[in-house]
Amino acid sequence: MKINIYKKLIFLFVVPLFISCDDALDLRPQDGIIREEFWQTKEDVQGAVIGAYSALLNSPPGVGDRPIPEYQFMWGELRGDMVLPTADASRDERDIATMNILPTNPLTNWSAFYRVINFCNTIIDLAPGAQEQDPTFSQEELDRFIGEALAIRAYMYFTLARTFGDVPLKLDATLSDTDNFQIAKTPQVEVLEQVALDLQEAEAKVPESFDTNMASKGRFTKYGVNAMQTDVFLWLNEYDNAIEAANKIINSGNFELIEANNSWFQTVFAEGNSSESIFELQYSLQNQNPFYNMFVERPRYLVAPTVLEGVFGINRDEPDEQDIRGERTSMVASNATIYKYSGLNSSELKARNAFDTHWFVYRYADVLLMKAEALNEIGDGEQALSIIEDVRERAEAIEMTAMPVSADDSDAITDYILAERARELAFEGKRWYDVLRNARRNNYERIDLIKSMAITSVPAELQQSVLAKLDNPNSHYLPIYFYELYANKALEQNPFYE
Amino acid sequence: MNKNNMVRIFTKLLYCSFLIVVICAAGQASAQTTGERTLIRGQVLDSESGEPVLGATVIEKDSDNRTVTGVATDFDGNFAIRVRNTAHQLEISFMGYATQTIPINENENITVNLVPSMETMEDVLVTAEKVTETGLLNIAERNLTTSQVTIDASDVENTQSASIDEALQGRIPGVDISANSGDPGAGMQIRIRGTSSITGSSDPLIVVDGMPYDTSIPEDFNFGTADQEGYAALINIAPSDIESITILKDAAATAMWGARAASGVLVINTKRGTVGEPTLNYTFRGTLSELPEPIPMLSGDQYSQLIPEAYMNRNGVPLNTVDVKEFQYDPQQVYWYENYNNNTNWIDAISQTALTGEHTLSLQGGGKKARYYTSVGYYGSQGVTKGTGLDRLTTRLNLDYIVSDRIKFKADLSYTHSVRESNYTNGVRGVAYVKMPNMSIYEYDEEGNPTPNFLSPANNVQGGYSRTYNPVAMAEYASNTQTGERIVPHFNVNFQLIPSLLTSTFDVQFDINNTKRTSFLPQNATGRPTTETVVNRAADMDVDAFNITTKTNFIYTPTINEDHSLQGILSLQTNDYSHITHQVLTSNTASSLLTDPSVPSRTQNDDLELTTTFSEAKDVAALVNFQYGLLDRYLINVGLRGDGNSKFGPENRYGLFPSVSARWRASGESFMENLDFVDDLSFRASWGQSGRAPQYDYRYFNVYGNFESEYLGMSGVYPTNIELSNLRWETLTGKNLGLNLRMFDEKIMLDVDLYQNRTEDLMFSNLDITTVSGFTSMDQNVGVLDNQGWEVGLYTTPYESDNLRVEFNFNISRNENIIREISEFYPNEQGQVDRNGEYKRFLQEDNPFGAFYGYRYEGVYADLESTQARDANGNVITGPNGQEVYMTFNYPQTDYVFQPGDAKYEDINHDGTIDSRDVVYLGNSNPKFVGGFGPSVTINKQLKLLAFFNYRIGYDIVNETDMRTTNMYDWDNQSAAVMSRWRNPGDETDMPRALFGAGYNWLGSDRYVQDASFLRFRSATVSYSFGDRFLERLKLDDFRMFLTADNIMTFTNYRGQDPEVNMRGGDPFGIAIDNSRTPPTRRFTLGIQTTF
Repeated sequence: MKINIYKKLIFLFVVPLFISCDDALDLRPQDGIIREEFWQTKEDVQGAVIGAYSALLNSPPGVGDRPIPEYQFMWGELRGDMVLPTADASRDERDIATMNILPTNPLTNWSAFYRVINFCNTIIDLAPGAQEQDPTFSQEELDRFIGEALAIRAYMYFTLARTFGDVPLKLDATLSDTDNFQIAKTPQVEVLEQVALDLQEAEAKVPESFDTNMASKGRFTKYGVNAMQTDVFLWLNEYDNAIEAANKIINSGNFELIEANNSWFQTVFAEGNSSESIFELQYSLQNQNPFYNMFVERPRYLVAPTVLEGVFGINRDEPDEQDIRGERTSMVASNATIYKYSGLNSSELKARNAFDTHWFVYRYADVLLMKAEALNEIGDGEQALSIIEDVRERAEAIEMTAMPVSADDSDAITDYILAERARELAFEGKRWYDVLRNARRNNYERIDLIKSMAITSVPAELQQSVLAKLDNPNSHYLPIYFYELYANKALEQNPFYE
Repeated sequence: MNKNNMVRIFTKLLYCSFLIVVICAAGQASAQTTGERTLIRGQVLDSESGEPVLGATVIEKDSDNRTVTGVATDFDGNFAIRVRNTAHQLEISFMGYATQTIPINENENITVNLVPSMETMEDVLVTAEKVTETGLLNIAERNLTTSQVTIDASDVENTQSASIDEALQGRIPGVDISANSGDPGAGMQIRIRGTSSITGSSDPLIVVDGMPYDTSIPEDFNFGTADQEGYAALINIAPSDIESITILKDAAATAMWGARAASGVLVINTKRGTVGEPTLNYTFRGTLSELPEPIPMLSGDQYSQLIPEAYMNRNGVPLNTVDVKEFQYDPQQVYWYENYNNNTNWIDAISQTALTGEHTLSLQGGGKKARYYTSVGYYGSQGVTKGTGLDRLTTRLNLDYIVSDRIKFKADLSYTHSVRESNYTNGVRGVAYVKMPNMSIYEYDEEGNPTPNFLSPANNVQGGYSRTYNPVAMAEYASNTQTGERIVPHFNVNFQLIPSLLTSTFDVQFDINNTKRTSFLPQNATGRPTTETVVNRAADMDVDAFNITTKTNFIYTPTINEDHSLQGILSLQTNDYSHITHQVLTSNTASSLLTDPSVPSRTQNDDLELTTTFSEAKDVAALVNFQYGLLDRYLINVGLRGDGNSKFGPENRYGLFPSVSARWRASGESFMENLDFVDDLSFRASWGQSGRAPQYDYRYFNVYGNFESEYLGMSGVYPTNIELSNLRWETLTGKNLGLNLRMFDEKIMLDVDLYQNRTEDLMFSNLDITTVSGFTSMDQNVGVLDNQGWEVGLYTTPYESDNLRVEFNFNISRNENIIREISEFYPNEQGQVDRNGEYKRFLQEDNPFGAFYGYRYEGVYADLESTQARDANGNVITGPNGQEVYMTFNYPQTDYVFQPGDAKYEDINHDGTIDSRDVVYLGNSNPKFVGGFGPSVTINKQLKLLAFFNYRIGYDIVNETDMRTTNMYDWDNQSAAVMSRWRNPGDETDMPRALFGAGYNWLGSDRYVQDASFLRFRSATVSYSFGDRFLERLKLDDFRMFLTADNIMTFTNYRGQDPEVNMRGGDPFGIAIDNSRTPPTRRFTLGIQTTF
């Protein structure tokens, strides 16, 4: 009898221990959240959306690539004519500036962009499931989150398509290693069309504003989407659509060009989120920008020597008459440093530990000038010129930089708009794209724009070879980083770099 | 999927079979209790005098000799005891008398006459067959079917080493042990039969007293600027506590230990108590270590001549010493002149002669019931680099208690406390080599007066932190201290379920291993401005690991008859490993004296840290293993192990790994009977599998992490990884053929093994995947890797007489590492030969890795004429216009025209330009043979002479030190060899001209590839045991003195400091590159050992 009880006891206590070994081995991380436990509430979804924005500003912990604004700056400015890499820049940066670009150049690595795309895809795929779990999660909120994710994804693909041309289009989330990542390239125009489609959907879903001004500038609102739409339609050569999108912003009455005054730089750039701003990446004191290392500590980029005179102009008779967008806004002429991201006001630099200037994605003046570009393309040169005048007037642009062009000379107006954009958007990562967009229209009718830019920026001994390279339109797009080709056998290198 | 289910079911079945055994056995054990007690009275008398014996012990013992109850006799020698069972026996004992055992009579009064005796202690019987406790089946060495080697600790006890791994170096064929660095406390890299995994740990599993023992530190622990290998925990067991070490080499042997054993097993048994009076053992070792002569570098004067010359050679523009004041040498500029006109030997400035002291005190003894071994050891060591050292306190208590013939238990407790001081960064010695020698260590002020401050400018022409800094300031001011506390209690119960048939053992071991790293980088070590985060950077990192290991064995040992022998084991093992880490890294504390990160300081920058983690992993295993022997000649061993591991997803969680091995003792056959001199000749064959689990926990979940930064005041969440549902066990299948020969009463012993270890489903951590997925890397099973080779061990006693014994041992082995299959997504080449300093490496299936390719160096272009391009017939190549063509580099992309004084490379294809088409095979970093040998001579059993040599033959290494110290390419100091550089046309030399930041004088070429075969006189020991008469006078049982010299001499043609350079493990593109620059130290040790 005693024996039996003993046996039973052992059976009761020991057997479950072993039978449940499957459960024992089923360990879950205690200091992280796993997908199965996430996506339950609207707060979870909000966290994921904020995560996607955060990834635009910084790489996640432990990831070694550069912040997205740094790529935007390098890709948009190094091949342009306004920036000069210094000896402190890496060899890879200098190679891009001299058009000596090889697939082994790590600056052609697009991983930071696809990472954000995947964050957005994850939100788009999984957020609806969270709404089913959380009764307090309204459809409106869900739409807003998905709309923001669509807009961020569109921003990423738009940048990639402008930079690499044809790129792989992945529109679903990567969840497990059983997914297929061997994705071939999609032609540039289809990528841009997808971007337009995403923006159209996002426009319907995102709100006109958020509860704080900071959030309305730092998250995608309808106007942020409209601004990007204007841009995308210009690349797709759909000018009426571009004008329509720009008009939505202009007619909203929420934005204005701020009159030039002593604190203009401070309002628009040093502090940011002004009434001129549409969408800015919100660096803050807690999350500082990468610009100190780029432009101040051991500057990797200086202002090209031609900029002061060639872009902003100097009035030698009236030295005080200055374009407010030049000296002490974009640059400091005396030491050729870029000032836009490091100035506290017109005279002082920000403190080392207070580098919180935003990255400006879209500003009102940008949209106006894009509208002018569209108007010019559909033959309304007069209106285009009047927009340019508006922009110039508030910036106190000097007489010297005014171009006397007639309203029916559309090529000259294009030149004028580009020159004005160079002044208005100096060092905002737009120069190369602006020139490329205008050069490629009508089967590269204006390839001279790119070539003349190369002549001013490339050292004389390299000019001939660079001009020869630029004759091939494929050279206007970066190569795919060589490692990507190892890992994705469906990819083909941009033929120029094979 | 289906297969996996079967495996799971099978593993569970194994568990169930245990349960049945447990239940049956438990039932049996409890079936023996009975109720009533009987009172027995008696008296104990001295058999000679008839006097009563006071205080004698009377105990009742059951049939298993277990003590049931006991009493002591009173003043009159009387006792009264209530016995439980009259079938039991009484045992009467007293000091000075022979113990008596008598049956319990129904008579209620017993008189016992004790016989006085001088000999009360039992003699220890030494068993003839050598059996090693492995923690599983214990099989006599002569019956082993697998490849394993045991060495007695006494073989290595004379060497000076902090850890036993160093002492084992070169002594066992097929086991490659090498130092990660010459600093004290740095771990050793142990490789048994090569690197079987290209990722994760290839370290062997350490088993101490039958239980696995972790030597790694969790991956997510921040090691600061030091690398992880430098932190590899020592096997923190005092060498003097070790009884024996067994190395299991083939897969059939390691299969029994499962996932962590795929790279081999080191079984360490510590000393235990023996029956006998207490013996106290004291050992002291004192060691003096010094660096061998460093590479001679340029003096400050020679250096400041070289740099302007190199600068000028670049494009004819002289160095502007008005701007570059470091080379101005203008006495008017007092500050610059005084601080930059020196001849500083930075290497000497950071080096010291190091002293090491080790004391060990142990006590050993025991009686019939209880035995003990306990020891306390202290090891204190300085490093040869300033700011490095190791202090360690080890204690151990091993207790054995024999409850009865059927029940024994052991309780072992070990505690280690260690404090390791390292340099803040690993590179101090490297920086000291290249630091400008004309710079002063200490700063001179503006008036030219010396000050006690280190000269640490934020930046000078050579650069700033982290590329360069004042190495003396770094070694002395910056701190990096690792403190470890480790407690390992281990309990074992051994219970004979059925005497001499079925034994069970239950083990549980707790391993509490806490490590703390504190470091501080003060401003004056880097000289950087106080706003930067590398200033006053304080770190406090803590990792607490907790490990519970259990093991339940059922050992079945039936006695059949003389012809058949059978042993079997069922073993159930579990392991639960968890660790927490806390890491704080802050910067810019207010003062260099505020070294703790908790004082107000900056935390928010990206490069600073504030993290905690918790991680846990579990594995369970069930194992069955049988060994059957027929006629003592045919032995076969079969095993099956089922593993379950929490690091895999449910799909791939279980693995089943079989093994089989056999031994044929040919010497037992009748046809060999006449060969009397052969003691044993056996052939072995084995086949076995074991599985390896991934490095990281929880990877089969999609884990979400938090952004450290905020956005709009909110914090963001993001997916950190891809869910790994495809990841499978990495399986190692090992095949082994072996031979054991014992001749002339074991005076000649020969072991030969031939093996192939194939790793399938090779796991690769963080293999780059297409970033289109949104991630950059993931763990994958990528291919098949082979390690194959052979090893021979020869142990001989050429001469033996009463007064003299001469032994000689020799071992040699060869291992090859070959990739058989690799995923197409794995890149197949590395190295860009259009850049200076790089070698090309290819990954080709079916070829060993470690081969490298580059240019062939042909000396220096003496003059302009010699730079003319020539075709295959030696004619000068001319251009379309008849102009002479000069040699170029990488035409047309780079198109550098070689100048007189430039390095000359062979134009293999005679096309007038040096480019990737001129790259040829240069060498291979796989040694053809490695091994060791050494004699030992014992005279009169008192004087012992030991010598030990180790060697590696036939491998090439890239001497990067040579490359970096002769390239004359930047501001770095160069070796004295550059004094012979080319300067003027016509100079005939092998050393190209100095060329600052330009040219192609140091392309990856055979100039830096050197054959690094070496033979090293590793150690020599003289030890003397004092004779009996002397010992009596000192009232000692034993007294021995010894003198050891380590790393006495190295015979090699290699031009670097130390030819013993490892291929970097875990990287198929890894080749042996000599850039460590910290050679092994030469050491002299004096030791004494006494026993009381």
